[in-house]
Amino acid sequence: MASLDQLKQTFFEECSEALQQIEIGLPDLRDGTASDDTINAVFRSVHSVKGGAGIFGFEDLVKFAHVFETVLDAIRSGRLAATQEIVDTLLQATDVLSDLIGMSRSGQAIPPDHDRECRAALERILHDNSGGEGSEHEPAAPADFEDLDFTPVRADQLDSGESDGGEREYQIVFRPKAELLRKANEPLYILRELGKLGTLDLHVEVDRLPPLADLEADRPYLSWTGTLRTVVTRQQIDEVFEFVRDDCELEITAAVAAADGGPESSAGGPQAETAVPPSAEILPSVGFVPAAAATTSVESAVPVATSPVVNGPAASPPRAPSAKIASAGATTTRIELEKIDRVVNMVGELVIAQAMLGQVVHNLPDDVGGQLVQVLDAVVHHTRELKDSVMSMRAQQVNAVFQRMPRLVRELAAKTGKKAHLEMIGENTEVDRSIIERLGDPLTHIIRNSIDHGIESPEVRAVAGKPEEGTIRLSAEHRGGRIVIEISDDGAGVNSERVLKKARERGLVSPDAALSEDEINNLIFLPGFSTAETVSDISGRGVGMDVVRRNIQDLGGRISLKSERGRGMTIQLALPLTLAVMDGMVVRVGQETYVVPMSAIVECLRPPASDVHNLLGTRGMLRLRGNLLPLAHLCELLDIRSTGTTADERVVIITDTGDGARFGIVVDELCGHRQVVVKSIEESYGAVPGIAGATILGDGRVAFILDIEKLSELTAAPSAVAGAARPAGLARTASETLN
Amino acid sequence: MPAAATLKVLVVDDQNSVRQMTRMTLEQIGVRHIHEAENGRQAMETASLQPLDLIISDFYMPEMDGLALLRAVRGHPAARRVPFILLTGRGDRELVVKAAQAGVNNYLIKPFTTDILRQKIEQVMGKLS
Repeated sequence: MASLDQLKQTFFEECSEALQQIEIGLPDLRDGTASDDTINAVFRSVHSVKGGAGIFGFEDLVKFAHVFETVLDAIRSGRLAATQEIVDTLLQATDVLSDLIGMSRSGQAIPPDHDRECRAALERILHDNSGGEGSEHEPAAPADFEDLDFTPVRADQLDSGESDGGEREYQIVFRPKAELLRKANEPLYILRELGKLGTLDLHVEVDRLPPLADLEADRPYLSWTGTLRTVVTRQQIDEVFEFVRDDCELEITAAVAAADGGPESSAGGPQAETAVPPSAEILPSVGFVPAAAATTSVESAVPVATSPVVNGPAASPPRAPSAKIASAGATTTRIELEKIDRVVNMVGELVIAQAMLGQVVHNLPDDVGGQLVQVLDAVVHHTRELKDSVMSMRAQQVNAVFQRMPRLVRELAAKTGKKAHLEMIGENTEVDRSIIERLGDPLTHIIRNSIDHGIESPEVRAVAGKPEEGTIRLSAEHRGGRIVIEISDDGAGVNSERVLKKARERGLVSPDAALSEDEINNLIFLPGFSTAETVSDISGRGVGMDVVRRNIQDLGGRISLKSERGRGMTIQLALPLTLAVMDGMVVRVGQETYVVPMSAIVECLRPPASDVHNLLGTRGMLRLRGNLLPLAHLCELLDIRSTGTTADERVVIITDTGDGARFGIVVDELCGHRQVVVKSIEESYGAVPGIAGATILGDGRVAFILDIEKLSELTAAPSAVAGAARPAGLARTASETLN
Repeated sequence: MPAAATLKVLVVDDQNSVRQMTRMTLEQIGVRHIHEAENGRQAMETASLQPLDLIISDFYMPEMDGLALLRAVRGHPAARRVPFILLTGRGDRELVVKAAQAGVNNYLIKPFTTDILRQKIEQVMGKLS
């Protein structure tokens, strides 16, 4: 049994989903591309928020949601046209609604003015639309509607047992409309049902019947009038027409109770059936329509070329939809995140154990190991599949982060007096939660930058021949085992002259260095860089693109920038699909084993000693395809005694530094490339510069995962000072640290 | 006089929080057998398989709204006699009129107290013991 708090929690989760629905639907409404379903979904979302809020007593939320809902109701019933202005107000209302929900959720008192402006705007819309129709403000839910002529129907009254007793006569007029036939309802079966209730005496009106050649099969031409003498209740008569109420003209009026055997009852009883000439059945279908309407009894009423056959009485059509509506889309269920994380952990351990098992089997003599290898293969296969399935459970759509962006753009545009809108593509692309959680800040900052510095003011844009409203395009897609997110705008692009000037002023670049356009643009990633003359409060102080780059790199990703002066700028983020498992290269240095992330490796090679030049002031330079790359020795970076590997046998791993330059890391041996389960050591050891985490190898030993880019920074560029001092904070060997 | 503890009730609403609140309120009245459905289709499946004494349903639901559900129930040979109470909002007066024509037994305005729920049920089923 759920407690009230748990229910509130559920309600707020429903509110999040409702807000998402609204955020998705309103832009379509603005473009004029919204279907009826979309509008209804938006309406229902606001209605749900209102309903739930009422239950839990969030009165301010109820009141605001009510006005919001009323406007949406007017739109969906066609009484109000959804102009761009109105939808913009609705978008604002969504933001206010979101705020109110947030405040209700955290228990904050809601400042009375918070929704006043928006509510007034909504009320104005309603007022303008229908002369003075204000919003309703009932203080509490009434138990009953006032002046409503409604009598509760007792359950037992539905049974025929409780009728008045005694016969009553009803006048019946039944004129089906086209919709009735279109919904696969069959007048014949309805009339048969009616006939079961008593004595039915109907007469068919055929005056609308055209000649056979002009007959359209899906249009009704017949109607019936007559009387029904019955002991059943009015309710039961109504029931016969329940399903078609809206699709026909129907009159059922109680006449004065007929005495038994009166003159009215003589015509049209079942006995009259045989008296009806067979031709009366045939005539309508052939088009020989006598001028006077033919009298037929119910049993022989002719359905003229009507709808597809409906099995059984009128009762069955409603059953078809319920039995046959295939569930569109996947069924979902809610699971607590903790449970999923626990399973992910366990699978991680399983992968490690299985790797260790593989090691043991590998070392067994062939006659013993042979059979085991086969079984192990199966285990490996299933473990991999299990891991993939479990990781996909943690996958979330990037929309979780993207969905906040439209509001951000709206607010920033308003604050800066610019016009901008956001296009999103690929928001359904999935990526592990661990990435999603850390994507928010960088994305927010990049978009802020775009609006602050990229998109020009409407006047400037007009002069440049651009549309007044700037476009920011946010896209996500899977590419080559990574997720690539692009943020591009059609603004002014990077002002490379200003950037170069600032960089020179701050000594980040030597005065006479010749840099390409691309290199200049990438300067904005250097720390402390901001070209804004005034730091507007939205871009923040000192929070520059360098922080964004650090964030992305911490995730094991890369960031790059392309800019075209006057046309716009595109920032591209390439991120791994998950942080929990990683492709790594196991390397040996001396007696120690480390893991280098594959994402950091450009290429590996074993160069002949002749290609390595010992230039003064360096640890060696590698000649590679015409370029000279500085080398760093991992054994020195980590203060490990190298074993006797000769220069020729050493392996060089080429890697990028953050700013695009390359260098090579020298290790003793490459031990193989595998997927490793990343374990964080932060809880036990805090953040260790140069170490990204740890993993357990197949032989059960712990190996550190290196943060190559950080290592290169810590040692200063390897091409710098000779005998670079070993930074004090650098990690020692794994065994030293653990003991 | 039906005993509340023997009643089998189906609650239909696409919002889980509303379903749970309705469930809790029903339990306070003494009802023990409560089925739930998220939408009209699920409701029809339950209604056609389980013996039910009462259906309480919201109106605004995707796929099949409460009124369509009511009509479907009234048209179904096994379920047509089951009493139906429609959950409505404060502004849904016209909805109640339409529901009356379709054969609804009673309506219940959200949010409702335990007393009002009891009253509305008793108006349809007689005093609950």
